[in-house]
This record gives sequence, C-alpha cells and structure tokens, in this order.
Amino acid sequence: MKKIKIISGIIWAFMALIIILILFPGLNSFSVALSKLPFMKINPNFAGGDAAFSYVQERCTLVVRKPVFDGLLSERKHGFVQLDWRGELPDVISDTIDFDRDGGSDFVVNLKRNDAVTVINPLSDLVTGLNVSVPTSYGWTVRVGLKRE
Amino acid sequence: MEKELVINGYRKSFGKSLLYTLPVFLITFVFMSGGRPDFSDPARLVALLVTFAGMNLLYFLMHYTGRTDRYRAILFIIFALSLSFTLISNIVQMRNSMSFSQSDIVECRIPFCHLVIPMMIIPAAFTKSIIFPGSIIGGFADISSMVILWLFATIALGRGFCSWGCFYGGWDDGFSRIRKKPLLKKISDSWKWMPFALLLMVMLTAAMTLVPTYCDWICPFKAVTEFEQVTDTESAIKAGIFISLFGGLVVALPVVTRKRTQCSFLCPLGAINTLSNKITPFTVKIDNEKCTKCYKCTTVCPLFALSREDVNGGRVSVFCSKCGKCVDVCPNNAIHFGIKGVPAGSFRNFSRNLFLFVSFIFISIFSAGSIINTIQSLLNFIIS
Ligand code: SF4
Ligand code: SF4
Repeated sequence: MKKIKIISGIIWAFMALIIILILFPGLNSFSVALSKLPFMKINPNFAGGDAAFSYVQERCTLVVRKPVFDGLLSERKHGFVQLDWRGELPDVISDTIDFDRDGGSDFVVNLKRNDAVTVINPLSDLVTGLNVSVPTSYGWTVRVGLKRE
Repeated sequence: MEKELVINGYRKSFGKSLLYTLPVFLITFVFMSGGRPDFSDPARLVALLVTFAGMNLLYFLMHYTGRTDRYRAILFIIFALSLSFTLISNIVQMRNSMSFSQSDIVECRIPFCHLVIPMMIIPAAFTKSIIFPGSIIGGFADISSMVILWLFATIALGRGFCSWGCFYGGWDDGFSRIRKKPLLKKISDSWKWMPFALLLMVMLTAAMTLVPTYCDWICPFKAVTEFEQVTDTESAIKAGIFISLFGGLVVALPVVTRKRTQCSFLCPLGAINTLSNKITPFTVKIDNEKCTKCYKCTTVCPLFALSREDVNGGRVSVFCSKCGKCVDVCPNNAIHFGIKGVPAGSFRNFSRNLFLFVSFIFISIFSAGSIINTIQSLLNFIIS
C-alpha cells in the first residue's frame, strides 16, 4: 500500500510537469477551445445585447440592440436598450426609436456630439431615461433605461 | 554565507548545478526567443539576453546554494513590478491615462486578471455568460488565455501559484522583506480565514448583481494597474478604497509584520488556491525525526501557513504557497519540499528538484514577456 502511494504520488508529480510543459506551446489552442464553450460570451449587461435591427442613414448606420433585462435566474425589472451609431456621424443626431417595433415610437434621442450632450425624450412609460452616452471607436453608443412591461 | 552553504542539505556542486540548469536553459531559450532571436532591434535583443541570463542564474543559484525562497522572491518581485509597468504603459498608450472610461467598458476592452475568476463561476453556470467587460479571446490579457494559465498552474502547483505565478503577490512579498525584523509580531492567525468569508461574499454579490464586485469595489491592485475614471462620488469612494487597501495591506502591514498580509487576509482567489492545494502533487513536509521544535520556520512563514501546532502535529497547513522560506531557515533540514504519498524524509532532493523545475518553468515563461518589455522600455528611455 505504501509503495502504491509513493508510485502514484510520483506519477502525479510527473503529470504536473507535463501539464506545465504543454501549457505554453498549447496556450493558443487551449484558449480557443475554451472560448468556444457555450458560457464563454460576455454577459449582455456589459456587451449590450445582440443586434435587433438597424437603420441605414446617410453616412452612418444606427444599430438598435435587443433590450437587456438579464438577471441571474430571471429577468430584472429594470434594463436598457443600446443604440450604436456606426460610420461617419453628423455633429447633431436626432432619431426617433421604436425599439420593440410595435409601430409606436418609444423615445427620441437628441445627441450633440461636440458638446457631449445627450437628451432622451421618452414617448412611452417603459422608458426611464439616459443610462450611458459615450464616444466609441466605431462612432457613438447610447444606453437608454427601460422598465419591464 | 559559508556556514549557510555547509548546513544546507540541498547544495550541489558547481558542475551538478550547471547540469540541473541545462533543461531550464534550453526551455527558456526556446520560449523567449521562439528558437530564433530577433537581431533587428538591439534594445529588445539586450532585454531578452538580460532576462534570459538573469533567470537562468537564479535557477542555477537555487541548486548551487540550496536556497529557494531568496532567488524565487527576486524573480517574483521583478515579475510584479514589470507586469504593472507593462500594463500601465499599454493602458496609457491606448488611452493616455491609467483610468478606464465608460467607452472602454461599453466596448469590452478591460484587461482581464485572474482575481475575477471566483466571481465568474456562479453567473457562468446560470446565465451561460461571463460578467466582465473584456475580450473572450484575442487582444491584451484576454479572458480565455488568463483562465487557462491560472487553471493549469493551479492544478500543477496548488497554492504554489501564489508564490510562483501571481503577478500581484510579488508586491506584498517585496514590501514584507523591507525590514529585517518585524515591528508587529503578534497577529492572530485566525485572520487567515478572512479570504474565505470574502470569497463567499464576492461570489454571492457578483451573482446577485452580475457585476464583479471585488474588482469594482475592493481590489487593492487597481492602485497599480488601472481604475475607473473618477467622475462622481461613487467612483471617488472606490478610488479611495483601492488606494487605502493598497497602502494598508500591500505596503504598510507587510513592512511592519514581515507577512504577506494582502494575500493572507484579503485575496479571494488565494482562498480558492488554498483549496487547490488538496489536488496538487507537491507539498511541504516535516520530518519529525529531524525536527527539534525550534519553530524558526513558523516565525518566517509569510502566509500564516505554519503554526506551532502544525509543527507539533508534523504537517504544514493547506495555506502553504511553497515559497520555500521555511525550508531555507530550518537548521536541521527537517522541513522540505515533498510529494504527496511519499513519506516525510524520503526522496527530499528528488522532490525539490522536480518541484523547482515545474514551478520555475512556469514563472520564467509566464513572466518573461513583461520583464523583457520593461527592460526594453527602460533601455529605449535611456538611449533617447
Ligand atoms: S493570494 Fe491572491 S494576490 Fe496573493 S498571490 Fe495568491 S492570487 Fe495573488
Ligand atoms: S509553510 Fe513554508 S513554504 Fe509554505 S508558505 Fe509558509 S514558509 Fe512558505
């Protein structure tokens, strides 16, 4: 029994050596394999939700994302919808948004990029106001707070 | 020095030490240079040679002098400093500031570090997603690579990660070495359970809020990496917490106690690494026949992993990070690196050689990039 314990301990120690020796040459492949697992995606509360639809404008495109209410076990009462303007943006933006595509406008975004001033005019009870408005590498992003129906 | 060399049971001859260094020499050469050093940038070439020579010298000295902790600590501390330097210079280059903005969060551009891992677990299980605004794969410090690096190292080394891999641990390890003697000697070691309480708290709060709460509110290393732009009262309070915890637990307390207080009393990942000591094959053992109960080892242990009761019971606790400090000070060579299943006192040289090889390969390859970058930047700065 003592001998078996010693031998298995030493075998395990050599396996630890192999683990470290294969780690660096295999780092890229292991990381790619890990990144493909179903849970390896950024939570929509950070990433902003999947794209729902887009409006192609004169020199830029407005992408409206799906509303995000994600909680641990169920949806939360409060969430947001993210809007991305991509491309060459005008200095002043004014867009009316129907984020749930029910045929009725939900809010108007007025954005003056140079002054970094963003105003949200809610047209629906579900809209709570501005959460985030920031310049991005691709243009501009706004997150508008929502209440769940 | 001569006396130390005589009493140290792990000391090898010059030739034998060279022979033991040869595999590390070859492996580090291949990984650092890609097998083919780049001669086009002299500053980078010099940085690479200095790093390569320095690392191999440290490993050689571990065998030649029989001492572990002294040479491990040099590399570990340089790693912590150079990683912070590399991270800060990358961030400043990208954003002209050490702080990150809302845009960086919205675009998921925050570099990932292993301290986030405990908070990812419950949300990943329930929401099938990662609650961190970083890159899943590709780019600087992506989530997949950092998780793989930590996971493999933790399986192989257990809490050894905290003395041979973590690029934060070198900060409080470094400050704990500044004074020769501690000013504050009596600290209750029950504080070492604190990281488990914090681990539970941050895991639950992160699960409830879907925000990595430790990074958001507590992590002292924000002070030497990056932090949220101070734009309102909340972000100012957060910055205050990061700086106070860094000043208190990473600088002041380690200086006055000679202990790694941040790692012992705060870090939630340290708690997980402690549990991983149960699976790693490597350990530190006490040979009861040689131990005279002088308790020198308990005094020097920086992580409260070795109490008098542990020594009397003939075993090192699960908190051990295999730093080797106790092994270095033991006058009777009673405490030694060991392998689980192998009785204390047997195979001590073999166990030490194998453990040093595994852990040194990890820290040297993991740290090489940031050390080379730092030396190269310093050289470029001096030349310009
Ligand atoms: S306790 Fe935490 S900060 Fe300290 S070395 Fe371990 S993982 Fe790093
Ligand atoms: S018991 Fe020894 S090897 Fe383990 S952490 Fe303490 S000093 Fe380091």
